Amino acid sequence: MKLSLSREELLTPLQRVIGAVEKRQTMPVLSHVLVSLQNGTLSLTATDLEIELRDAVEGVMGDDSETTLPARKLLDICKSLPDGAEITLSVSGNKATVKAGRSRFNLTTLSASEFPRTDTLQDPVSFSLPQRGLRSALQKTAFSMALQDVRYYLNGLLLELAPGNLRAVTTDGHRLSLSEYPVDIAVDAQHQAIVPRKGVQELLRLLADDDGDVSVAMTANHVQFSLGNLQYTSKLIDGRFPDYQRVMPADNPRVATIDRETLRQALTRVAILANEKYKGVRLQFGEDVLTVQTHNPEQEEAEDTIAIGFSGDAIEIGFNVGYVLDVLQAIECDTVLFKLSDGNSSCLVTAADDNNHRYVVMPMRL
Amino acid sequence: MTRKIIHIDMDAFYASVEQRDNPALRGKPVVVGGQPGKRGVVAAASYEARTFGLRSAMPTATAVRLCPDAVFVRPRFDHYRAVSSQIRAVFQHYTDLIEPLSLDEAYLDVTETVGQGTASELAKRIREHIFEDTSLTASAGVSYNKFLAKVASDINKPNGQCVIPPERAERFIAQLPVGKFHGVGRATEARLHALGIETGADLARWGEAALERQLGKHGRWLHRIARGVDERPVEPHHERRSIGSETTFLSDEHNREAMITSLQDQAEEVASSLQKHNLLAGTLAIKVRYPDFSSVTRQCPLSPPTDQHKAVLPLLPLLLERTEAMQLGVRLLGVSVSALIDADTALPAQLPLPLNNTA
Repeated sequence: MKLSLSREELLTPLQRVIGAVEKRQTMPVLSHVLVSLQNGTLSLTATDLEIELRDAVEGVMGDDSETTLPARKLLDICKSLPDGAEITLSVSGNKATVKAGRSRFNLTTLSASEFPRTDTLQDPVSFSLPQRGLRSALQKTAFSMALQDVRYYLNGLLLELAPGNLRAVTTDGHRLSLSEYPVDIAVDAQHQAIVPRKGVQELLRLLADDDGDVSVAMTANHVQFSLGNLQYTSKLIDGRFPDYQRVMPADNPRVATIDRETLRQALTRVAILANEKYKGVRLQFGEDVLTVQTHNPEQEEAEDTIAIGFSGDAIEIGFNVGYVLDVLQAIECDTVLFKLSDGNSSCLVTAADDNNHRYVVMPMRL
Repeated sequence: MTRKIIHIDMDAFYASVEQRDNPALRGKPVVVGGQPGKRGVVAAASYEARTFGLRSAMPTATAVRLCPDAVFVRPRFDHYRAVSSQIRAVFQHYTDLIEPLSLDEAYLDVTETVGQGTASELAKRIREHIFEDTSLTASAGVSYNKFLAKVASDINKPNGQCVIPPERAERFIAQLPVGKFHGVGRATEARLHALGIETGADLARWGEAALERQLGKHGRWLHRIARGVDERPVEPHHERRSIGSETTFLSDEHNREAMITSLQDQAEEVASSLQKHNLLAGTLAIKVRYPDFSSVTRQCPLSPPTDQHKAVLPLLPLLLERTEAMQLGVRLLGVSVSALIDADTALPAQLPLPLNNTA
């Protein structure tokens, strides 16, 4: 193999795929990036066997060939070279030489045939949507994915495809987040995929906040996202996500209308004196007023009162303050609605003017 | 003030109860536990059976080999519990400071009861009282702490007692094999032997720091009791650390459904035990013993802490999947809960979403 390209042409795709390279690997080849040149297109592939990231640069001079190179070392080398440096890469035997100006690096290669690759997806369900839409759906829900829960199917994000709708749902068993995005999808039935936690976080890193398209292809075992030359494939969690519709309170009659930022600030203040372990705060909804109160084992107390829209009998309910703040952070709107039933039942939080994002938070018995 | 502690240990309790209730068994080697030809272990062996080398916790098959004439009796735990509470009633005549260790063993703190009398006389009186009420014999150890009282009760067994007064403690501990020390099991014993530590005298010769380096916190404890220092009080309400259940299968089990059914039944048993004791569990664990006798446990948190078997049912298959039960088969399955808290101490509890995760 022998090829040449500019520092930026190599650095950009390398930075985009490096997220798949784990710091500690089970197989040596997983610390490497697969470098493959075909018809003037150089593609770089990295994998941890759960996710695979591939990016490509076109118009690279050289013969068709492939090899693998130590990914982080190659990245560090590219980063350290001066802007605009012209890099040549040549491989002979199990050694690769990277040259730029008067710098020269000899790297160990591993055979490209050892590199594990994902097969082409068979008969996937495909659709596309603006990156901004997918990014928003993920961003608004990713925070409530479970972490290393024995219910392994909660350690990820449910991506649900229904006619006209893409839905992201996450739950850690205490709270649930749901976000919908309208898409023009020609599917007749509902498709579900649970994307693992790491896959979701990596995807969020790659998606831009713009109208550029992202194509999605889903099979029973894999989901693939294509962003221009970048192709991101993730294995799916093999399990059944709980029936989230069942925990969506259909009819919580008591509605409080609250300024999001005012509530966020009040909770942040009061949280300072909450029990460090349980983070419990008491919310007392009264006639157009909300009192937030907490105390800790040292018997220190905090209380804050804000004006809200609420009428009828008072309701008192306890929450993990972190859960409420997470929702207020994610929801992005001026006014939020808290839909309540009683102090022991779940609370539904939505934006006042938008029902596409819905959050269910279970109370805490204080 | 020097305490006076009695450790009472019933002699071959389950087996003696059976011999008492069935005269045909008297004078014969009796084994309470699993039936011959099936899986199981010896729960108790009569003294006649012990002369053949039979011991509790020994696999039934080994017991049959050592003593082909042994009479095997199914355990009647409810009955033993009833007899045990009769015995406990006897203790209550003499002190309120009773710490039961199991159905057939308890520590009594009789410091107040004895006054100027001797604990040795009192121990004798208690053993006679037990025999009057139950026709069963007990052995007793008398000393100034729990460790020595327990070791002492073993010395003149059966139907005997032994006193270790403070002035004789040092000499007694010096000759005591390390295997008899509190908290020393077979593994620790082997490690101590490897270090050339055979007796209490050897333990005392090793410095506290050196023992701690070898054995951690446990080393420090051994050094303390080797000097006769054990200040653990007799605690009438022995706090439970865990509640569990185990089932040995008749033959190696390979069927997933059967395993899960067994775990679910045990979880129900454990949950009702939690409810009975008014406790909530914060951790769930399963134990799997493979056909080669090696065992693994897998655990997960219960959030919020619960006493409901419904809350743990969906977790059982998930924990089982983390073992090699399906590949290797199992000979024993167990369910236990720990991180127990009093259901009445109203700690803040995050309520769970009613997720339909049994699917």
